[in-house]
Amino acid sequence: MDRSLRVPPRHGSEEGVLSSAAHHLRLYFLLLRAQARSQAVYRLSFALDAVGSAFITLSEFAAFVLVLPRFGTLSGWTLGDVALLYGLAELAFVLMDLLFGGFDAPNLSQHVRSGSFNTFLLRPAPLRLQVFGSDFALRRVMRVFLAAGILAYGVAASGAVWTPEAALLLTGSVLGMVAFFGGLFVIGGTLTFWTVESVEAMNVLTYGGRTLISYPMDIYGQFLRKTFTYLIPAAFLSYFPVLHVLGRPLPDGLPLLAAYLSPLVGPLMLAAAFAFWRLGVRHYGGTGT
Amino acid sequence: MQASLSSTIRPNVALYVSVARLGFRRQFAYPQAALWGLITNLFFGVLRISVLVALFGSRPQVAGYTVQDAITYTGLTQALIMALSLFGWTDFMRTVHRGEVASDLLRPHDLLAFWAAQDAGRAVGQFVLRGLPMLALFALLWGATFPAGVEGWLLTTLSLLLAWGCGFAFRFVVNCAAFWSPDAVGFGRFAWAVLALGSGFLMPLAFFPPWFQTVLAFTPFPSMMNTTVEIWLGIRTGPEAWAGAAAQFGWALLLLGLAALVLSRGLKRLEVAGG
Repeated sequence: MDRSLRVPPRHGSEEGVLSSAAHHLRLYFLLLRAQARSQAVYRLSFALDAVGSAFITLSEFAAFVLVLPRFGTLSGWTLGDVALLYGLAELAFVLMDLLFGGFDAPNLSQHVRSGSFNTFLLRPAPLRLQVFGSDFALRRVMRVFLAAGILAYGVAASGAVWTPEAALLLTGSVLGMVAFFGGLFVIGGTLTFWTVESVEAMNVLTYGGRTLISYPMDIYGQFLRKTFTYLIPAAFLSYFPVLHVLGRPLPDGLPLLAAYLSPLVGPLMLAAAFAFWRLGVRHYGGTGT
Repeated sequence: MQASLSSTIRPNVALYVSVARLGFRRQFAYPQAALWGLITNLFFGVLRISVLVALFGSRPQVAGYTVQDAITYTGLTQALIMALSLFGWTDFMRTVHRGEVASDLLRPHDLLAFWAAQDAGRAVGQFVLRGLPMLALFALLWGATFPAGVEGWLLTTLSLLLAWGCGFAFRFVVNCAAFWSPDAVGFGRFAWAVLALGSGFLMPLAFFPPWFQTVLAFTPFPSMMNTTVEIWLGIRTGPEAWAGAAAQFGWALLLLGLAALVLSRGLKRLEVAGG
């Protein structure tokens, strides 16, 4: 344990950068392990919690699955097609939640309000690393499996033709979404440096955005669809890649290239979010507690 | 002496009324949060309407619902989220976990009645603050179906009160899990997901396959919202509506009885540490 907390080697040489990265990674996993252990103390409660969170995902999708036979399709989209969209969005969002949970506004505002954020600043470890490792909800792992199952069903049952290119496209879609929604969490968390109250408006973009892209975007009105394509580029994340995989044309006469932009759009959002984060940390002066 | 004796025996109505009034007033403490809540609810409402309208396609009617009914259904359910605590409720659980329930027990009131009064006030407060504006916005933006005539309004109001009764008792029973588990939140999460599906919050129950509706008919969940929505929309009228309300009344009594039983069992187990 004392070995793992050793001061990282100085930067400069390439070797030093590499071992510093390895050191940070190990530190991160130490933080995760500590939390996973404490969450697993009450076994029955933990099991129920995991099943309960998974059931939230399941019941929402189950409601859709149960009513769809009465209607046939969702404006031309079969259950398999929708499962592809729903599974992608859910998988990415749950992975993102595992990774970025510490930045989520309710969690971070708790740290800011109680003053425990000050201890983050005092510790000899990178601030972001500590926030990344501060809220690892092990129970969500169950939801990852469930989301992967829904996605697998979508892959098998949708009318898509499966090629290595399609697999790569969807992998890029998930990575882009993790970065995109992670960026929104970071922005929401940063806002708590200014207002201690939780930032409810961000929920529209995070949870609202997730729900929005869980269904084919052609069912929404023009205003909503265009806003979430050109103002908030959510359509690039999974809707366009899925359209391409299903062999459908993109809307508004957009070029095919637009289906490949998810791994670019997501990290751009994340980079902007962390720039805002740096601004927020510089502004942060504590609450006086 | 005689007066104080009779007042301890007779249920203290004035006390519960003022508890309910406090519960009502507390909801108005954060108007800004309420405004954002309204905007979030409206946004999710738009998404849900889009899915339902796309499902209907060009069909004029499905399972007794017109598109306009489906839109009203969405408005109603979005308006009732907070009043009926459809996303869950852990207030009582918290007092058990923190041990505050011990000092509540010292006070001269019935614990279940106390919480029922507080939650009734909270529900009315949320209905006035968030539910009514939400409904008005929905009706304004997309139009709405309203209960028909005096009997329709009367039955809808009655059914709404009973839906709250069923829901409160269910939520209270779930919260009592805190007496048995040091972290009952997980149990709650599961229960709220079942509530969302079974009460018709995620989709109107009439759209579900017959076998699933039959299964749900043996549970109290449809009584916690779906019945009220169907009476509002006029999908259930006359004797059918009265039968629905009667079922709600039966479930409310049963669940309240269960809540009282589970509470008394839980209190017997209660051990309060230090302080």
